[in-house]
Parts: sequence; structure tokens; C-alpha cells
Amino acid sequence: MVERSQKEVWKLTPWLVLVLLLGNFILMAFSAKDITSGQRLIRVWGLTVADFVQSPVATVSSGMTNYFRSIANLRTAQDENTQLKQQVEELQLELKAKEGLTAENERLKNLLDLKDQSKYKVLTARIIGRDPSIWFDSAVINQGSLNGVKLNMPVVANGGLVGRVTAVSPLTAQIDLLTRDKSGLGAVIGQVGVSNALGVVMGTSKSGLLEMKYVPGTTDVQVGQAVFTTGQDGIYPSGLKVGDIFDAKSYGSSQPYQILIKPAASLDSIQEVGVLLYEPPPTVPFDQKVSTPTKEKKK
Amino acid sequence: MEQVKLTVALIIAVLLQWTLRNIAEPLMYVDFVLIVVVYAALQRNSLRAILFGTFSGLAVDALSGGLLGANGFTKTLIAYIVSEIARRVYMDNLLLRIPVIAGACFLDNALFYGLHRLLGQEMSGDFWINISYALIGTTVAGTVIYIFFDSFLTEKASNRKREIFPARRSSRRRNPIRLGK
Repeated sequence: MVERSQKEVWKLTPWLVLVLLLGNFILMAFSAKDITSGQRLIRVWGLTVADFVQSPVATVSSGMTNYFRSIANLRTAQDENTQLKQQVEELQLELKAKEGLTAENERLKNLLDLKDQSKYKVLTARIIGRDPSIWFDSAVINQGSLNGVKLNMPVVANGGLVGRVTAVSPLTAQIDLLTRDKSGLGAVIGQVGVSNALGVVMGTSKSGLLEMKYVPGTTDVQVGQAVFTTGQDGIYPSGLKVGDIFDAKSYGSSQPYQILIKPAASLDSIQEVGVLLYEPPPTVPFDQKVSTPTKEKKK
Repeated sequence: MEQVKLTVALIIAVLLQWTLRNIAEPLMYVDFVLIVVVYAALQRNSLRAILFGTFSGLAVDALSGGLLGANGFTKTLIAYIVSEIARRVYMDNLLLRIPVIAGACFLDNALFYGLHRLLGQEMSGDFWINISYALIGTTVAGTVIYIFFDSFLTEKASNRKREIFPARRSSRRRNPIRLGK
């Protein structure tokens, strides 16, 4: 046995206490969950603290990038200017023609009593951080629960689905990108309600591509077809564009297709996203939906 | 003083890990936190290195989509292993440190992957591709950072400086009026 002097023990004790406190804190963090959202509190705190670092860095870096890009753009500005002048003249002619069409369109709309309807409210957010680990595809946005962001809300960019919110702090939120293996969503090839080529879209190990599983081999699938959400997964609303079919392999009518999808949104270079303030309709538990005969007997 | 400098370096490493992927995607393959933790472990102070590993690992985990504590676990273990090796083998040579950081990077990623698979977590990306890029990125960046640390951070460097440029001996000037007496 190595005997430690009293001085050494005194030196070691605070560290030992610190380690023990840390161990306890980890245990508490694991068991502690936010009552309303069911998230781990440590993650909420982490996101809030990181916002103070990530937001300024993102602002400065994007400002610098834009500055250098604008300098580079000046070189080609003169050529573009002459081309644009020519285009402006052409467009002015087109505009005059379209003014007539717009007036006609307005008249017809009034006639049919149609109103512009936007399905969901969209909250614009900026990506201020990406996952620090190489093994996960997630991002941090600068909108949080104070702005109305909630867990599992869908996130879109450039007309395509990006992912969903997986953690929310008051000022920021974490989103899991579609390319992450865990996130599987119900999807259909072609228009919802018309096509019956249903399947589940998941991330793959191939970067930037998604995989669609369980599409029956009897259906007609072609490269370039668009894939939309069905809304059956209880998270995403129906009709959101997931992407276009990149590759489809058929193994006969008895086996499902092996389909690769290119996401509609460019997930590697997204800077701004829109959070759909959409909450799925509450699902009724199965045992409440169907009253089993045994329960009725007991009553 | 060295401890304060290393702590500041670790905080900067965590901040870089949080933010750099947003600026340039390839920078995600450089594990700044691991580089600082391994450097701390090479200074033969195992207690400090282990604590550095735990805290920085948890800080990275807090913002990662992975399991909370996974990075803390791997970095603590690596800090312990490296400090034990450094206690037994003389590792003040930079050339010897290159395989150490490379090995630590491989072990860190393999353990991280293994822990997640063990607990049923799905991960994105191919194991070998990710690990290869991480190995290259972290080893190259680690070597450069270690050269920087060796010249600015350690007490040894300042001692060496003192030996090369010794301070002039200052003697009290005698009063010229009293010299005649």
C-alpha cells in the first residue's frame, strides 16, 4: 500500500469531490426530463449556452464570406451588366404581355371565389451550428421555444423537406437532418392520393442520399419521379417534397424496389431554413379506439 | 500557469468544435478537443488529463445528436491510457507524438462508434470512410498544434528561452558622491 501524506490527501480531496459531483450530475441529467417537452435538461441548457457562441460566429463568418464573394463578383459584374441590360429590355416586353394575363387571372379568380391559402405558418430560421461529431447529421437553428418552435416540427428549405426538430431550448433548437439513419418517414412516389407506391424513407451511409424501402415491386417506378410525404408517420404533414428518385433497382414483382433519393433541399449547404409551425393531430391510443370484448365484459 | 494556459486551450478547442463545421464542412474531421486532451495527457499529469477528457467530452456531447456521455467516456479513457504511456515512455519528441495522436483518434472514433452500436443507436456515414478522414484531419492538425503548443505553452519552452536570452544582472549603482570617501 502506498501511504499518502496529509498534504497530498488535501490536494486530492477537492478533485475527488468534483469527480463525485460530476458523476452525480450526469446521473441526475439522465433521469431529469423537462415535464412539458420530455427532453433532457442538460441538452436544453447546452443549446442555450452554445447559442451565445454560435450566433456571433455564424454572423461574422457569413458576413466575411459575403464580403469576399462580393469582391470576386465585381470581376464579372461588367459583362453581366451588359447582358442584364439586354435581358431587362426583353423582360419589359414580356411584362407588358403578362400584365394582361394577370388581370385576366384576377378576374377569373374573383369569378370562382378562390382565396390564397397557405397551409402552414412558416418560421424562418438561420443555421448557427452543425453537429460537432462526424457520426451524426444534425444542426442548430436560431429559433427556439420562445418563437413557437416545438418538438418534432418539420423543417424545410428550398421547397424540400430538411428534417425535424429534436430538441428545443428557449433561444435555439436542434434539428435532425433527413440523412440521419434514425429519421424514417412515410412517403409516396408521385402525388398523394393518386399513387399507391408507398414506402419509408431513411438516411443511408452514402452521403447526401436517402433510401426508400418497402415499395412493392408491382408498382411502376422511374428515375426522376418526385417523392412526397404521406403524413401517415404522425410527424410530417402530407404533400411535402422529399426529393427525386436518383436510382431504382427492381428485383421482380415479388420483391420490393431498392430506391435511392436525392433530397430536394441541398442538405450540405443549407444556411436558412423554415420551420413549419405544424402539430400533427393527436393520436388516440389503440386500446381507446377499439374496445376489446374482455374490457366490456369486466365493465 | 501552464495549467491555466491548457485550460484556456481546451475551452477554445470546445468552441472551435462547436462552430467550425458550420463554417466549413471538412473541418468536422478535425477533433480539436481530442488534440488538447492528448496533449494534456502527454504532460504526465493523469488527474488533470482525465478531468479535461470528461468535461470536454460532455461539452461536445451536449450539442451532438449522439448519446450524452459517449464522448466523455471515450476521451476520459484515452486521457488515462495516454498519460499512463507517457509516464512510462519518454514522449517529448514530436515524432513520437504523431503515432500517439493518430492512435488516440482511431481508438476514440472506434469506441464512440462501438458504444452507440452497443446501445442500439443508428449512425450516419460509413465507418471506414469517416474514421479515415478523421485520422488524417486530426493527425495533421494535431502535429501543427503540438508544434505551436511546444513553443508557446509549456514551462520548458520559457525555460529554454531564458537559457538562450538570459536576463542581464542588475547591480545597484553606487552613489558617485560617496565614491571619493
